Amino acid sequence: MSAIHLKNLTKSFGDFRALKAMDLEIADGEFMALLGPSGCGKSTTMNMIAGMEEPTSGKILFGERDMAGVPMGRRGVGFVFQNYAIFTHMTVRQNLAYGPRMRGAAKAEIDRRVDAIAEMLQLSPLLDRKADRLSVNILQRVAIGRSAIMEPAIFLLDEPLSNVDAAFRAVMRTELKQLQRQFRQTMVYVTHDQLEAMTMADRIAVMDHGVLQQVGTPLEVYNNPANVFVARFIGAPGMNLLRGKPAESDRGLVIDLGPLGITPPLSDELAFSVRAARAEVFYGFRPEHIALAERGLSMPVSFVERIGARTIVHLGEGESAVKAVFENHVGLSVGQTAIVAPPASSVRVFDATTGLAVRAG
Amino acid sequence: MSAVMATISEDKMGAVHAKPAQRDEGMRLGFRLTLPAQILVLFISAFPLLMQLYISVTDWSPLSGVGWWNAWEMWNSFANYTDLAADTRFWSALQRTAIVMLVCVPAEFLLGLALATLFADDFPGKRIFYSILLMPMMVVPAVAGYMFFMLFQSGGPVNDILSRIVGMPVTIAWLSDPNLALIAVMIADIWQWTPLMFLILLAGLVGVPDDQMKAATLLGASAWQRFTTIVLPKMKTIIIIALAIRVIENFKIFDTLYIMTGGGPGVATETISVYIYKVTTQDLIWGYVAAIALAILIVLSIVAVYAMRRMAKAGEVPA
Repeated sequence: MSAIHLKNLTKSFGDFRALKAMDLEIADGEFMALLGPSGCGKSTTMNMIAGMEEPTSGKILFGERDMAGVPMGRRGVGFVFQNYAIFTHMTVRQNLAYGPRMRGAAKAEIDRRVDAIAEMLQLSPLLDRKADRLSVNILQRVAIGRSAIMEPAIFLLDEPLSNVDAAFRAVMRTELKQLQRQFRQTMVYVTHDQLEAMTMADRIAVMDHGVLQQVGTPLEVYNNPANVFVARFIGAPGMNLLRGKPAESDRGLVIDLGPLGITPPLSDELAFSVRAARAEVFYGFRPEHIALAERGLSMPVSFVERIGARTIVHLGEGESAVKAVFENHVGLSVGQTAIVAPPASSVRVFDATTGLAVRAG
Repeated sequence: MSAVMATISEDKMGAVHAKPAQRDEGMRLGFRLTLPAQILVLFISAFPLLMQLYISVTDWSPLSGVGWWNAWEMWNSFANYTDLAADTRFWSALQRTAIVMLVCVPAEFLLGLALATLFADDFPGKRIFYSILLMPMMVVPAVAGYMFFMLFQSGGPVNDILSRIVGMPVTIAWLSDPNLALIAVMIADIWQWTPLMFLILLAGLVGVPDDQMKAATLLGASAWQRFTTIVLPKMKTIIIIALAIRVIENFKIFDTLYIMTGGGPGVATETISVYIYKVTTQDLIWGYVAAIALAILIVLSIVAVYAMRRMAKAGEVPA
């Protein structure tokens, strides 16, 4: 097992800077998800950890050991590829035995290790099957087994569930999480799917445009996004953000949203910090925290999406559009006007110029 | 026939089983649509073959004064085939062809594979080298024959370069020495056909999945181990295709060789094609030629069938 420490890690491809000065510490045995939209630099980060790409500058440490110049075959890293990269011309057994065989392990030793890992991953009955005719969940286990047999200190997984259909993904997520508990390795998991990151990871590193935006537990990034990007990216749908100016009222500090009117008063702690900042702000709240109220923001219903368990109601238009998530039996339809109010405790405020969160004081 | 009856009776039993009958209908339509093409193929391949078979059991020649369809008048049972078995010139030509093949095809394969491996990665000037490398393949074989005929003259460039290297005049009579002539012919063949091997093998090499190579590297495989455990097995089908093409083509080696040596000196470079050519144009015993050609066709068919079997076997495991 091994901790990973990325120090000021930067990668450029010509003029394009794929990763900008990334600092990240991944603890020993931790399951870290690198989450972000395509092109955010997460795969580049992963490839550099694996040694497939050399960093332009900065350092990668495994424990205390600097990985600069260590070739990828010698880093003790297990890698599970997006499409698993199973050797299709071999049997499951040959796939599992590949690593030890290449390192010149004795036949008996290889057999013992293959049998052990196959037992653990419930692959024993499939050992002599050709690897080109396996279902995805078996492929995933073979891919993990093939790496795990080398007892790597670190496991890297590159979007392993992106080729799997939605129904099966839930099964695979559970399976992966259980496997990680079994192996207890440090795992770095690259994904663009927040659901995967949320459900499996101990901590999530949210990335965008080659910049690390926030690192925290799934609930931290959900409840207290560090900036506007994270607020919008995490959550389905993301956080509602309305531009406005702080204004004093007889009930406390409120945000003047212009044509939308004024918001309910902020909580005292938040009001304190917002007063200190005094800039133009984004007033943010989660769609799932909105409640219909007597007083609050009065907005026309523009669209209603019923998605089974819940209903997403789109309110307003353009800059001031807001999404609200309700239980299915909410009686709103297009053309009606809804009065909504987010509870003061769930409101987050962001500086409109820097995009950074204004933390409650 | 019974299968057809079965589908019909099944059809009568209910509309649920309509599918086999539909497939039958489709087959019949397909047969009708492809009929013209099939007749054409029949005339192109089957007719000459049958004609050849027919002539090969007669003493017919264009000088016999009767049309080939009347060749039965000169029926000689299987004398042509028994003659062939005893024809030492035929057997030594066959042996020579085999030697050329056993030297040229592996040489072309290894050179082609080495070059393909080189060209699978990027390097400066790759596109230019690539074009230059493919050029020999585009040269008309007869022209290539003249080129090498010139190159290997005793006062030619090959000897000239050799004398500069050695530092004294070299006057090797390449094309008039029985052993050297064969070597010169093989060099010309390797020069001309390595590019084809290279091209086919490069296509195969590029098709090897990159992520599987990376996975192998991450599991600690060295470059050589990756080559033997991933690249070669994945290229199996394409290697068999490339070898089969070259074995069959090389067996028929003729134009370049004929222009360089004319099969000589003596019969030193007389391969099977040259031998057939001479028997056809000089001896004019076409019944015998037909017998030789048929024998060779059988040999090559065995090679082709073997290659296709191996391919089908490899095809069970698509890369």
